Amino acid sequence: MKNYLKLVNFEFNRCAKLYFVLIGLTAVSQLIAVFVESRRYLSQVNVALYQDKIPKAQFLSETGEMSMFWIVNNAWFSLPIIICITAMLFYSFFIWYIEWMGKNSFIYRLLMLPTARMNIFWSKLTTIALMIFGLIAAQLALLLIEGQLLEWLVTNEFRVDLSIQQLSESSYYLAILIPKSFIAFIMHYGAGFGMLLIVFTVILLERSFRFKGMLLGLVFGTVAFLLFFLPTIASEVVGFKGLYPEELLIAELVLGLMVIGLSSWTSHYLLNKKVTV
Amino acid sequence: MIEVKGLTKKFGRKKVLKGISFTANKGEITCIIGINGVGKTTILNAIMNLTPVNSGEVLIDGEKISKTSYEKITFIPDTMTMLPGFRIEQAMQFMQDFYQTWNQKRADELLGFFKLEKTDKISALSKGNTAKVNLLLGLALDVDYLLMDEPFSGIDIFSREQITAVFTSHLIENRGVIITTHEINDIEHLIDKVVLIDEGIVLREFNAEQVREEEGKSVVDVMREVFQP
Amino acid sequence: MNVNFNKRDPLYEQVVRHFKEEIAAGTLVPGQEVPSRRELANQLKINPNTAQRAYKEMEEQGLIYTESNSPSKLTKDQSILGAVQDELLEEAVSSFVTAIRPIRVPFDKIIGLIKEKYAVEEKEEKND
Repeated sequence: MKNYLKLVNFEFNRCAKLYFVLIGLTAVSQLIAVFVESRRYLSQVNVALYQDKIPKAQFLSETGEMSMFWIVNNAWFSLPIIICITAMLFYSFFIWYIEWMGKNSFIYRLLMLPTARMNIFWSKLTTIALMIFGLIAAQLALLLIEGQLLEWLVTNEFRVDLSIQQLSESSYYLAILIPKSFIAFIMHYGAGFGMLLIVFTVILLERSFRFKGMLLGLVFGTVAFLLFFLPTIASEVVGFKGLYPEELLIAELVLGLMVIGLSSWTSHYLLNKKVTV
Repeated sequence: MIEVKGLTKKFGRKKVLKGISFTANKGEITCIIGINGVGKTTILNAIMNLTPVNSGEVLIDGEKISKTSYEKITFIPDTMTMLPGFRIEQAMQFMQDFYQTWNQKRADELLGFFKLEKTDKISALSKGNTAKVNLLLGLALDVDYLLMDEPFSGIDIFSREQITAVFTSHLIENRGVIITTHEINDIEHLIDKVVLIDEGIVLREFNAEQVREEEGKSVVDVMREVFQP
Repeated sequence: MNVNFNKRDPLYEQVVRHFKEEIAAGTLVPGQEVPSRRELANQLKINPNTAQRAYKEMEEQGLIYTESNSPSKLTKDQSILGAVQDELLEEAVSSFVTAIRPIRVPFDKIIGLIKEKYAVEEKEEKND
């Protein structure tokens, strides 16, 4: 356990610089979104009220108030989210492959640590999870800051304040990242980490058997994926509607645990018996 | 004692190891000699469970390797095993964090002996100094067995001399050492035992001093007999 | 210390011989401490186990002795020390004789040559 925590700390420190750059980039870009959108709106207000002499009430009913809605749908807002998601996907592979890369083969050291090799596996998974939750937390904090900034830039009479709840519904990306209910949260992120676990196992298959491992990995990934989404496939594709929502949830949970078990057992076997430096 | 018993390994269809067996004693320096690409590194990797084998087993003091064995046996490969972005002091801290057998006093001593700067970044080191840092990270562990892959190859003469000095010092004393080399010349007088390997098998396993005493032959003489019959 | 060992004779014998030469030459004083086996291995760049064996051999021959918990010392026994010089001398002379016997040179000529050669080498040594 102690070694696991040390490894998590080590893994996180390794990518901390890049990670904070990612957060900084997001903050800057999203603040730009606030400025861009509020200036666009304010110039609209100016043109309407002072040039075209349209009454305020009429302007508000035609154009509407300024709110975070416009901001979260601006490209400056969503682009860094896309970049972060891509970076995390990329890093999920990189976190393993970097150990074998170049002249410095850190994999030797990792495999020779006097600790269970699965600790390496779990620490890498945990690091990715921490990074993702960290990004979400940063996004929530940023939304508050951005709301505050908007309050300064646009006066009360032209502005509607939205809750985070309302906001998450108004953006495609936020809707995925910040699920509405706790169950949805568990489902989204459970599925996400289940997939990550499968990806890790596939990587280890490739690392153990190289080209043959890639094919094996493809088979393993497909089987695990199908197993995991069996209920969804059954209802959506085949049209099987025999299960109540609660039953579906339990079935999904059991299958999820099965996939997690299968994937971690395979990884354990590969790391201890088949992986090669 | 390290017992290697009947190791076989295939890379694709090619058999690299065809039943390698030998032993290496504690308190002795055992040297695996063979030309390049003969599977010397693979043997060391297999002893450390860093690569799977098709058959055979390795026993360390009668036990199969497990996670706790890494406090008892260590391996110094011919590539750097630390993050290139680390400074030497960070690398030492990492070792201290994970190994109970890490001996910081000895590490500091080695740092002085090799004339290395703690604050130097690993990626910026010369080839000789990289080899020395690698050696330091292995030697500062209070382990019973040390494996080294080609510790003398591809480095400058002064680094070679320093590394040679390590072998006759208390840093190696009472430990069991296995080194691989494709060139014995400089170190003939340093080693206890020789294991000659070619085409995946052990051609001969002998004690260097015994062969000098009983047959009046140098290690190179025996190699000549064995490799060029 | 820079000693050239050959690769075919047992190393421990070469080490013992190296010590005997130093004793005969008087470089080592009776009762003097000798390096530990590790120091010796380090100085001569040889395997520590071999150094150990060389010391064991010398101990058996009475050349060095070890009192408990103190470093090994060269013997003070003059009969042993004297015997070392005699042994080396006899060895050298007998191999010399074996080498020149086939040439059948008159004995007096050999003596003269030895005297000459000795003088030259001694002079050279002084100049060094």
